[in-house]
Amino acid sequence: MPEPSAPTEVHHLRGTADRPALLTIREIIEEMEPLATARLDDYLDPTVLEVTFDDGLCEADTARLDIQWTTRGEYKFHYTDSAEVNVRWGRHPHGGDYIHVPGLEHYHPPPDASSDPDDVQRSCITQTPEALVTRAVCKLWRVAYHEGSYAPLNAGENPP
Amino acid sequence: MNDRSPPDAFDDVNEAVGAEWEAETTPYERIRHVIAHTYDFVTAATVAEDARTAPKTARKHLNTLVDEGFVTTTSGEHGGAVFRRSPESLVVEQAADILDHYSSDELVTRVTELRDRLTDLQGEFGVDSPEELAVEQTNQTLSPDTSTRDEIDPETVRKWKRLRRNLAFANAALSIENAERFVDGDHNVADDSLPA
Repeated sequence: MPEPSAPTEVHHLRGTADRPALLTIREIIEEMEPLATARLDDYLDPTVLEVTFDDGLCEADTARLDIQWTTRGEYKFHYTDSAEVNVRWGRHPHGGDYIHVPGLEHYHPPPDASSDPDDVQRSCITQTPEALVTRAVCKLWRVAYHEGSYAPLNAGENPP
Repeated sequence: MNDRSPPDAFDDVNEAVGAEWEAETTPYERIRHVIAHTYDFVTAATVAEDARTAPKTARKHLNTLVDEGFVTTTSGEHGGAVFRRSPESLVVEQAADILDHYSSDELVTRVTELRDRLTDLQGEFGVDSPEELAVEQTNQTLSPDTSTRDEIDPETVRKWKRLRRNLAFANAALSIENAERFVDGDHNVADDSLPA
């Protein structure tokens, strides 16, 4: 599987990686998503929670979600798969660079999780507790998986 | 969830996950979850909003969590109570998790490794802490001698703070393990009477 695309954005998460929150997110993912296995990159001093999926979206056979969460409640959920498609949900200041994003929550769309200010979208995830953000990402991934499309990842809805 | 089951329809993912969370947990559990990783003081109303409860309910459960030692409280700017996670409770919780994960020898090895990494940072920058590093950088910026100015990567400061925090959890785990060994050891000693 390819490594996630090198981060092109210069915007940083405020605060430091929050081990306690990453442990909680790991529990939620393993409870919610049967195709996912989550592990900290370093159990004592983690920077990221690495979630591997036994299947990917659309043509991809495998996928990975790299999760960063900080002591200030800011985050990046970066999805990458074996078809080399990348997307990322984020919550952090962007200095108004993302012209379509009024708040902190935003979405870097496929296929390359673009950080072009004109491409970055307002995120459909607006909740802040890690339980709800994580549940939302899992739910959106599930809808996309069943529809065989990347579009639901930031649609925020699943029509009947 | 079965990996073949189609997801239920929803109009708004935020409302959908919020309603599921509410259905699967009690107000106390949600308030405990929200405050667990809240490290700056906030009002009960702020916690209530995130935890999808009434402010009165949040205040009641937060006060219970204060009694349990999970949360710490003080008076806010306008005299009302504000709350955050108790650092002591967080340290004990993280230490317990670390002790569950590592054997005694593994933990000693890993803690030594983290301490070495911290010492390396202190040696590299010639200061004891990331805060001193920030002061150093400010002094350099104010200095008229531009040749001494050296941009410090913000990522280094973040890494340093993260390492220091996680080493504190690991050191606590090591201390608890050592303390438990001596408490247990004393208990097992046949003749532990004090000399007359």
